[in-house]
Amino acid sequence: MLPILTVKITSEPDVVLARQRARQLARLVGFDAQDQTRIATAVSEIARNAYVYAGGGHVEFLIEGQTAPQLFAVRVVDQGPGIPHLDVVLSGQYQSSTGMGLGLVGARRLMDVFDVDSTPGCGTTVVMRKLLPRRTPLVTAAGLPSLLDALAATRSDDPLTEVRSQNQELLRTLDELRRRQLELARLNGELEDTNRGVVALYAELDEKADHLRRADELKSRFLSNMSHEFRTPLNSILALSRILLAGSDGPLTVEQARQVQFVRKAADELLELVNDLLDLAKVEAGKIVVRPGEFTVDRLFGALRGMLRPLLLNPALDLVFDDAGDLPPVVSDESKVSQILRNFLSNALKFTERGEIRVGARVEGPRITFTVRDTGIGIAPEDQETIFKEFNQLDHPLQRRVRGTGLGLPLSRRLAELLGGHVGVESTVGVGSTFSLTLPLVYVPAAPGAAADVATRDPYVEWRTDPGRIPILVVDDAAETLLLYQGFVRGTGFELVPARTVPEARQLLKTVRPAAIVLDIPPTGEDGWAFLAELKSDDDRRDIPVMVVTEVNDEPKARALGAAAYARKPVDSAAFLDGLRALVGPQAGKRILIIDDDDVARYLLRSALREMPYVVSEASSGLHGLERARTEHPDLIFCDLRMPGVDGAEVLRMLREDPATRDIPVVVNTVRQLTPGERAELERAGAAVISKEVFATGTAAVEIRRVLTRAGVAV
Amino acid sequence: MERIPILKMGEFVLVSIQVDMHDQLAMTLQDDLTAQIVRSRAKGVLIDISALEIVDSFIGRMLGNIASMARVLDAETVVVGMRPAVAITLVELGMALPGVKTALNVERGMELLRATLGTPVETGRAPAESPNGHPQN
Repeated sequence: MLPILTVKITSEPDVVLARQRARQLARLVGFDAQDQTRIATAVSEIARNAYVYAGGGHVEFLIEGQTAPQLFAVRVVDQGPGIPHLDVVLSGQYQSSTGMGLGLVGARRLMDVFDVDSTPGCGTTVVMRKLLPRRTPLVTAAGLPSLLDALAATRSDDPLTEVRSQNQELLRTLDELRRRQLELARLNGELEDTNRGVVALYAELDEKADHLRRADELKSRFLSNMSHEFRTPLNSILALSRILLAGSDGPLTVEQARQVQFVRKAADELLELVNDLLDLAKVEAGKIVVRPGEFTVDRLFGALRGMLRPLLLNPALDLVFDDAGDLPPVVSDESKVSQILRNFLSNALKFTERGEIRVGARVEGPRITFTVRDTGIGIAPEDQETIFKEFNQLDHPLQRRVRGTGLGLPLSRRLAELLGGHVGVESTVGVGSTFSLTLPLVYVPAAPGAAADVATRDPYVEWRTDPGRIPILVVDDAAETLLLYQGFVRGTGFELVPARTVPEARQLLKTVRPAAIVLDIPPTGEDGWAFLAELKSDDDRRDIPVMVVTEVNDEPKARALGAAAYARKPVDSAAFLDGLRALVGPQAGKRILIIDDDDVARYLLRSALREMPYVVSEASSGLHGLERARTEHPDLIFCDLRMPGVDGAEVLRMLREDPATRDIPVVVNTVRQLTPGERAELERAGAAVISKEVFATGTAAVEIRRVLTRAGVAV
Repeated sequence: MERIPILKMGEFVLVSIQVDMHDQLAMTLQDDLTAQIVRSRAKGVLIDISALEIVDSFIGRMLGNIASMARVLDAETVVVGMRPAVAITLVELGMALPGVKTALNVERGMELLRATLGTPVETGRAPAESPNGHPQN
């Protein structure tokens, strides 16, 4: 069944339209003139019935059958009350009140097949069919559009009818449009629903991403915190084994010494792992600060050579540094570059059994590339990326024998990225590997804030005072006098810090806080007096006692300017030392309080202070420490930051609140790396900071001396 | 309001249906035509349906009605120009248009009317197939 056209019957003119369409269609599908008239007349009768009796309906034109002859069918459908006496009407007995009773009967005569289906109350459907002439071409779905085009081209002679037919088409088009609009609205609604779904999904994704970010942050924090926790006991082990090995409490037997050596080595390795982990966590958390400075590759190689030569125990292996004397200086963070190259080198040393390891550098444009080439086991291409991932170690017999943290290369990569460069590897299994580090020749900080930190650091050469002795600044232009004084103090607790000129003395005072100053004032040198007056008008240095040693006989003037002692040249050894002792003597009995819950930490600190003339007392908790601070009124307090109960920050705050303890200098002694914020806060509260790691590295005495000097209690 | 024009030609009126009329238009024509017959005292009515491709039962009935009314108003009606296909269809439909005289074209229709009115010849020259033209006389 192939529907061609539907005409709606809603008014009288529609009946006319229907029969005209019927005639036109009949012509187009191939009926002759007589049949065209028959069909049109039959349609007119039935369509009129639909309009008159049912108030309207519609007329459908169809083609039935797919082989010749096809049937031309017309269905007239209405929703009227139905035909009451169908049998009577069809028998021709019915006398219509409007027509001549000819509608149905006549139409039936005009068509080949005629069916009426009428249900009272439900409407009537009349189907009329007529066979197409045999010779006409088949009407197919494919041919339908051209048929309809031809129909559209058939213009009625009557403009009114034409307008009407166009009107109806317009109405149909409008109807179609409305349906499409409804469809569009429905689709729109569906799209909106989908959109809402997508938005919800996005929100969910955001949430997930947020979770991941937080999880990542937690991981970094966990790593960082755990690493710190590990460092405390490790530092204790290292420091204690150092003390044991030094034999300061009695010598060890050879066997014991070896065992302690092993303990120390194991602890060293563990500390290395922890430090790598910590570094990695810090890089991930963006906490590592790049401190660029200028250095030469030559110097860098020298330092590396010095560090790594001791590790080169294998006689079949050579460590060669290329000559780097011609290379331009590099501005970058030397310690980080060194750390990366050390990583490369220690890997090369691990995985190369014979041959050589060659370290080189070359400059290409604005970048410098360092290479470490070995003749080791090599890395398969598929593994060359994985080795830069955390905790990845390749499976190799040699790999199993030599242990590593699995963190060295990942850390190197991150550090290189931090410096604006990258690391790479080229390798052939069995031939060797070349690791490379490429960096900009001049480091460009990522953020403008990064460089400021560098600018504020002054590049002085610090006078390293001997922490075990009492520094005395001697200002004398005569070298032989300085030599003489050096002889005087030899074997005493004093250490001479010599200055040949007043400007030099000023410079030294920036970094050294001497227990006393011996000031020579030559007869001609007026700036000596000025320097004395300057010292005494400086709030920070007023307390440093000054002994004026001069050929000028003017003790009242010296005393008036604030000199604590006066000696006429020439002075002898006894007078010089007595004078000094008189000046610094009162400091000798100073008290130091150590507040720390960790027995080992207290023990280590006390050991470091043993050589110095202080009275040391201890407290194992914050509260206990506060109590001691009030009763003993120590000259300095060492306080651990992390303690159960009242912690270091709390102790510091309470000390500052109590007038009795307000002025006691406090040194915060911590194992944790402080954030700049924490550090600033502690410094605001008047505390100096010292890292507990100094006990493990053996620099404790120097560091302690430094903070004591800063705190003004150095002897 | 659309109407079918009605022309007066001497003592006859001529209606030439050029459009496919809907039923109301046909009814209006019926009314207009009877009014015009009275107004113009026409003796004859010529209805030209040569342009009509379809004459169904309603229009057929309308033509019959016009003829009957005209006769009552003392006028003769001749339907001219019916197409053969229309004629065949009308017969098949069961409508013989009783009481309606027909002629092949307007000219023959005029002759028929004149013959009916002016000369005593009753049926002689009528060419169309309506031998039972006026049983009421």
